Amino acid sequence: MNDLTPAPQDALGLSRSVRRAEDPRLLTGGGAYVDDTAPAGALFGYVLRSPVAHARVTVAADDARGMPGVQAVLTGADLEAADIENHLPTAVAKNRDGSKAAAPRRPLLAVERVRFVGEAVAFVVADSLAEARDAAEAIEVDFDELPVKLDVAVGGATIHPDAPDNVVYDYGKGDEAATEAALAAAHRVVELTVDDNRIICASLEPRGVWAEMEGERLHVCFNGQGVWGPMGTLATTLRMDKAAIRVTNPDVGGGFGMKAMSYPEMVLVAHATRMLGRPVRWMADRSEAMLSDNAGRDLICTAKLGFDAENRLVAYRMDNVANLGAYNSGYAQHIQSELFSKVMPGVYDVQACYMTSTGVFTNTTQVDAYRGAGRPEAIYVLERAMDYAARELGVDPFDLRRRNFIAPDSFPYESAMGETYDVGDFPRVLDRAMAEADVASFAARRAESAAAGKLRGLGLCYYIESILGDPSESAEIEFTEDGRVTLYVGTQSNGQGHETVYRQFLATDLGIAPEMIDVVQGDSDRIAKGGGTGGSRSVTTQGTANKAAAAKVIEKFAPFVAGLLEVEAVDFGEGAFRAEGSNRVMTVLEAAEAARTAGETELLKTRETTTLPGRSYPNGAHICEVEIDRETGQLAVVKYTVVDDFGNLMNPMLAEGQVHGGVAQGIGQAVSEHVVYDETGQLLTASFMDYGMPRAVQMPMIAFHSEPVPSTANVLGMKGCGEAGTVGAMAAVGNAALDALWDLGLRRVDMPFTPSRVWALLQLAEGATDAA
Amino acid sequence: MYDFELVKPSTLQEAVAALKDDEAQALGGGQTLLPTMKARLAMAGKMVALSGVAEIKGICTDDAGRICIGGATTHATVAREATGFPALASLAARIGDPAVRNRGTIGGSLANNDPSACYPAGALAANAVIVTPDREIAADDYFQGMFETALDEGEIITEVKFPVPEAAAYEKFIQPASRFPLVAVFVAKFSDGVRVAVTGASSDGVFRWAEAEAALSSDFSAEAVSGLSAPDAGGMISDLHGDGAYRAHLVKVMTARAVKAAH
Repeated sequence: MNDLTPAPQDALGLSRSVRRAEDPRLLTGGGAYVDDTAPAGALFGYVLRSPVAHARVTVAADDARGMPGVQAVLTGADLEAADIENHLPTAVAKNRDGSKAAAPRRPLLAVERVRFVGEAVAFVVADSLAEARDAAEAIEVDFDELPVKLDVAVGGATIHPDAPDNVVYDYGKGDEAATEAALAAAHRVVELTVDDNRIICASLEPRGVWAEMEGERLHVCFNGQGVWGPMGTLATTLRMDKAAIRVTNPDVGGGFGMKAMSYPEMVLVAHATRMLGRPVRWMADRSEAMLSDNAGRDLICTAKLGFDAENRLVAYRMDNVANLGAYNSGYAQHIQSELFSKVMPGVYDVQACYMTSTGVFTNTTQVDAYRGAGRPEAIYVLERAMDYAARELGVDPFDLRRRNFIAPDSFPYESAMGETYDVGDFPRVLDRAMAEADVASFAARRAESAAAGKLRGLGLCYYIESILGDPSESAEIEFTEDGRVTLYVGTQSNGQGHETVYRQFLATDLGIAPEMIDVVQGDSDRIAKGGGTGGSRSVTTQGTANKAAAAKVIEKFAPFVAGLLEVEAVDFGEGAFRAEGSNRVMTVLEAAEAARTAGETELLKTRETTTLPGRSYPNGAHICEVEIDRETGQLAVVKYTVVDDFGNLMNPMLAEGQVHGGVAQGIGQAVSEHVVYDETGQLLTASFMDYGMPRAVQMPMIAFHSEPVPSTANVLGMKGCGEAGTVGAMAAVGNAALDALWDLGLRRVDMPFTPSRVWALLQLAEGATDAA
Repeated sequence: MYDFELVKPSTLQEAVAALKDDEAQALGGGQTLLPTMKARLAMAGKMVALSGVAEIKGICTDDAGRICIGGATTHATVAREATGFPALASLAARIGDPAVRNRGTIGGSLANNDPSACYPAGALAANAVIVTPDREIAADDYFQGMFETALDEGEIITEVKFPVPEAAAYEKFIQPASRFPLVAVFVAKFSDGVRVAVTGASSDGVFRWAEAEAALSSDFSAEAVSGLSAPDAGGMISDLHGDGAYRAHLVKVMTARAVKAAH
């Protein structure tokens, strides 16, 4: 059993909604983001990007090199001649036949060919940004255009010779024969294909990087999601010893998986810094970000659900085709394949499952992880298909889910994809959600909307999520000379509020006041190893390590304190060391001060590494109501209820905030975020004038309720909450949209539900009615 | 942004003189021009900022009862002070966001004549008069197609005079990303007839919907609009936010809503 209950007077400890310590600093301009921290006098880098989607190129940069203020102009040819790898590596997947997936070179700067609009062609370094841009305009690039391949399908104009038919990988998991047999024997088979539309991450802070020489060592600072992975990339590409590189992450304004991967600019800035012996900085503007940041989603999924005569799900097959863009990003081959598989069968007790994923190259920006990374996609198609199946089978969508839930008494449950779900009580969560969302009164609300000329629909998504990322993490607690405490962590806040929550851990376990604790993250010189942020891992992995380090501190200090108090032994409780039969107490900070005075320096630093024994599986029900204006096609999300099983909440307010943000991103994708390329591969939605970011005014009030079943896969009993909101939101909105339109005869509706697309559906329905 | 010379006249006379230079470009609130320049998609040798010219700012009522707005008056000022013409104040209050409204000007908007801008619909529907240093131009003659106006090179808008309708309303259906009008309609009912101006829809920029004007002049009701066919989709803008047929349809919907809302 976990022991998390804080002392009653402890309002700042775990399970309390402690306010974010970061906010006053970040909201009043006190943040130190990458572009705020560049060394004085740093040179400015500027990337010249391809304006065409597919072409043979020749680059002539001599004129640019002579321009005022120019310190260096790098082309692909220059990198080829330099002692570096002109290639960003990827984690290569395995195909179904055991062969390796396609891994063509991904150059830092294009060599002979460009493959998407926005691809880096040259890198200019100058005294000022304006001079760098002027010089970039003087670079002559000849484009001999080639046919473009844009559809999310196998085939088309060849982009890489070593990826025939543009197939990157051919992934499969599960028992195909058993699944096909079960489908063949099923009483009913329901099939549904859904588009999972491409999005642009659009983090508030675009990507940026600067580098400087620290003596003989190279220091690279960029706004990422961790420092150790990129250090490996830098060492490989620059052919340097890791020990000669320091990597840091300053404050980061949103990452969402997009900033977890390496990009050419980081290496280009590092290379130029080393070459020139002077600091170099680069910051993307918004248009560059939209052209060059990893995109998300962009796949087409087909689900086949087999049911027996009692509407029990007996087989599930899912095939998807995933767009990877023009090159393999760092983890791209695993998102819609292996990570998708983690929750492919969702919350349903179905053992005959099989899935395939086919990755394809297109002449578009590369695609990789985006909040949820494979799990939102898996839940989207499954929950859209379950909802559709209920309609086809003529049963209530809530009942169909309930009938097929993994029963609460069958945990731990091994899914057909080999995941062991530790705990869960899906019927209880669903009951609560139906009550909180007042599903019983929906008919009355629908009638009210109809009276106002609006179609109203209600949609359910019951999602399950799998926490990912490195299960190991370390925490180091250091008592410093000024009487404070430094906590070194291996995770990396991108704005989530880690500092607040980690302080809560030490407040609870060591009785140290939060304002006495400094959290240090994101510096490879100060922290030996860490997993960064991603996969909703941070608080579970770091919190577990924090607890272990805190326990070790008490264990190490106890004999020393007993000696000071002149007793046999001491206990630690209610924030201090105490001895039985004595009224003397000593706080941890007092003990640390005494240890320093006594020269017991080994007590002052404690590092512990922990590894989670298993993954946790947050799950919950999202119930969404939408209204559609019949005259204009405008869809609005008007009511939204979430009941989540996140296990024990470390900070309920921050968990709820994560849900709000996640739901907003899900609603954004479902309603307004729409990436459009024209037929030549130009990105038409390359600014916020055309790319529909969700806005506060479009968001409903999101009701959040916790219905916890503590996880048994970590000592905290918690489940990660960073991505869950996104995982549940898309299908909830999609199912609500279909519910609103079903009676008009519509059967397939795909995101994004922009006004013009919904109006087109309404026209289709009218046409169908006319024809009938 | 490329280098340029910035001139900041404080009188209209100085501004007119500065704009005689072939290289000169007038700068109102800069809400269109500056982002375009920052993206290096526009350049001018000399920028003549009109924001310091006090005599072309502010709102008053003339002897004919018209609301007269100085060309360099911001949207925020119009929203706050054009109380004599509530539909126009409401139009101004819904342009962009607070930052845009505090910088952008009526003269800048009308001179640019973006096919999706709000003010052209208000000016055309209200039969406004566009005043420049040397002449007055009727709105019907002023708007000459997408980004085209009757203004000569270097000619600036000093004032816009709006006759006040008996009833009016501006109904805007926003493009989801930019929040410019995807289609917006300004309906203005005068004693001698109704004027209906549409923005966002046509590739020729703002236009008057003659059929709706005729129908509404004899029966000022939403029902009068519902009897009409939507305008021809042929000349409508077609883009990723909506094709011509959708925009034509929205013209009808927004016109009916504007009539309902008019007061």
